[in-house]
Amino acid sequence: MKSLMKKIYNWFDERVKLEDLVNFMGKKYVPVHRHSVWYYFGGVTLFFFIIQVITGILLLFYYKASSDLAFESIQFIMSKVEFGWLVRSIHAWSANLFILAAFIHMFSVLFEKSYRKPREITWLTGMLMFFLGLGFGFSGYLLPWNELAFFATKVGSDIFGAIPLIGEDLKIFMRGGEDVTGATLSRMFGFHVALFPAIFSFLLVIHLLLVQRQGISQPIEMEGKELDKEKKMPFFPNFFLRDLLLWLLVLNILAILSVFFPSELGHKADPFASAPEGIKPEWYFLFMFQTLKYFPAHVWFIEGEVLGILLFGAAGILWLLIPFWDTKSSKGEKNRLVNYLGIFAVIFIIVLTILGWLL
Amino acid sequence: MKSVIKIIIISFWILIVSGLSQAQSQQDQCFVCHESIGDNVATLFKKDIHYQKNISCSACHGGNNKSEDMEEAMNPRNGYVGVPKGDQISTRCINCHSNSETMKKYGSNLPTNQIEQIRNSVHWQRSTKGTEHIVQCSTCHNAHGIVSVKNPSSPVYSLNLPKTCSKCHSNTVFMRSYNPSLPVDQFQKYKTSVHGIRNLNGDTKAADCSDCHGSHDIRKATDIKSKVYPTNIPETCSVCHSNANYMKSYNIATDQFSKFAASVHGKALLEKNDLNAPTCNSCHGNHAATPPGVESISKVCGTCHVLNSDLFSGSPHKQVFDKKKYPECETCHKYHDIVTASNELLGVSKNAVCSKCHSETENTKGFAIAKKMRSLIDSLESEIKTANELINEAEQKGMEISDAKFKLRDANQAKLESRTMVHSFDYEKFKEIVSNKGLKTTSQIKEEARSSIDNYFFRRYGLVVSVLIMTMLAVALYLYIKQIEKRKKTN
Repeated sequence: MKSLMKKIYNWFDERVKLEDLVNFMGKKYVPVHRHSVWYYFGGVTLFFFIIQVITGILLLFYYKASSDLAFESIQFIMSKVEFGWLVRSIHAWSANLFILAAFIHMFSVLFEKSYRKPREITWLTGMLMFFLGLGFGFSGYLLPWNELAFFATKVGSDIFGAIPLIGEDLKIFMRGGEDVTGATLSRMFGFHVALFPAIFSFLLVIHLLLVQRQGISQPIEMEGKELDKEKKMPFFPNFFLRDLLLWLLVLNILAILSVFFPSELGHKADPFASAPEGIKPEWYFLFMFQTLKYFPAHVWFIEGEVLGILLFGAAGILWLLIPFWDTKSSKGEKNRLVNYLGIFAVIFIIVLTILGWLL
Repeated sequence: MKSVIKIIIISFWILIVSGLSQAQSQQDQCFVCHESIGDNVATLFKKDIHYQKNISCSACHGGNNKSEDMEEAMNPRNGYVGVPKGDQISTRCINCHSNSETMKKYGSNLPTNQIEQIRNSVHWQRSTKGTEHIVQCSTCHNAHGIVSVKNPSSPVYSLNLPKTCSKCHSNTVFMRSYNPSLPVDQFQKYKTSVHGIRNLNGDTKAADCSDCHGSHDIRKATDIKSKVYPTNIPETCSVCHSNANYMKSYNIATDQFSKFAASVHGKALLEKNDLNAPTCNSCHGNHAATPPGVESISKVCGTCHVLNSDLFSGSPHKQVFDKKKYPECETCHKYHDIVTASNELLGVSKNAVCSKCHSETENTKGFAIAKKMRSLIDSLESEIKTANELINEAEQKGMEISDAKFKLRDANQAKLESRTMVHSFDYEKFKEIVSNKGLKTTSQIKEEARSSIDNYFFRRYGLVVSVLIMTMLAVALYLYIKQIEKRKKTN
């Protein structure tokens, strides 16, 4: 068996010089310190993305993106297709866990200041992927064409419509017309399975190449110091195998969630029916949705909702550009402001999400 | 002395003449003049309630009714308007009839809200001319010679009212200009109805137009506030038909409304506001209201229950019922108090209607068929119940079972069809529906639901196995990592 593997390795090595890659990987180290555990969340996020791609492709074999057939095709997947229920349930759970892992990964990078020079592009690509992840969630939510998804998309796209100047055009572009219709479904399907995956894959390649090229970031206090044997771990095979172990555990959790709490389908969307009570977006949009509710109708001359959207937009841009305005961290100095902002953001998101859930 | 007597006589004569002329000047000069020339209007007015209450012609026509001089009396400067036209007519009437003080002054206890009522009525639409409303007070009450509604000479007296209304409502040309789809045969129909026949024979208690439609507040039958709107009809009819005292002389039951309200039709109409449900006139007719004859009951019910009626007409029961003069549908389902048909009606038990005529010793063929039919429909019902329970169980387990759920509708449809097919009293046809359509479907549903429940357990067992394998893999990987790290350390 071993000789066969060696033969295969040699066959490839002769052609693509695998030796160089193995040498490169063998020299890569991951710093070991009290915050090392956060390094794993990038890999976990990637794992969920891989699951999404696989289950998404499987669903594509049966899914029909039209307002007449979408709901029925999902019904068919769940009741007639062998393990269709499992594939759909894993896709839905994995989507949520992907966003959760991405949130954790983003905040760990923020608190570790790993975005500092020279990793600004890694942060930017990561953030763009995070926004795309939210886009995946929004576009995928409508695809079952059920009552909840229909009205949540209506409310969600209405919020986009409130953006000054471009809002109305953006809303019409998202909906493919004035209202949420079959055209919206086709459009969201296009975004979900073609446009977003293409951009995401491009960003992911850059992100991973940069991680490999620049190595894994060290905490500020360890920067510039030669790490002794105890404080570093070879990327291959040690860190890679630990990553794999975590992926197995995560897969276990995913399987349990999918079997015990399978994704429900509800009732088919009826554009002429009145909206059911308590329409809420997915949990990862809930903090923004809840915040907008607390804005008064008018603040000075500007509409409350518009002001809220503008504030969230500004906060998002500020967040995206952290590596460029946090010059202290790049110089190896401590920047408490970023920590306070991060802590505030975490508390704000958790509290508002809970309030949105309960109220 | 003679001259004194002369003076007294002259003074007395002067007194009489001046007294007479004063009395003459206090008289309604309009009426005096018009009567003297033999005007028919004055003759009519003499019988008018307004004349009797000393209301002058000038109250409606204006002018100076004290003046003997025609020029003066009929001078527009004195408010003379001549014959009021269009809405001016009703305005004249409203001036007094909507003023409670004025009405009280003349000792009248008539309501003063007629104008409000007529303004909401269908008659207060603009006429084709557009300058006035369709009807004026005088259209129904006449202009001169107006008498109390209780006076037999009044056009709105109960016995005269149908004819008064028919002046317009039987006029095809006139009605076409306002509502071409409205029938104009109401009066003809009314004359054939129980109400109409009695009315024409002088019975003022029998319902006339206003009893059902109202008088001043007549609304379109499609108006929800109309007394003849479908959901209001039972109550409108019950005003007379549930009044035991009022109906005493007719010797008919007065419990129709209470029975109807408790019936399947009454509940649908009065509680669910289902306008497809029949109301009184759906079975009895409206203007030609009369109880349907024994032989026509199935046709009346058949206007809605088409299949049942058709199947019954082709069944062996039809001839027997006709021969024995049994009212068709009514024999098994009753009439005003028709309840939702249940399986209990079918079969040979005490409560079953079949056992009224069929027993083990009498009409035995029907007895055997009724018994078999009941057994078959009971088994279908029981199978539907089981299928439903299995679907619920699968749903509670979170399984997607909408397909089976949809098929349950087919099973229920088969039950419904089998109930209709009962009216053919043909066992083979009945069995065809129950077995081939109903029981076959329930068997498929049960199979699908059971398979879903089995699948539920399969998922859980599958999860246990896969979690075990993944955990073992994870443990093996963990041990392998530990081994590598230990080896590195020793190196």
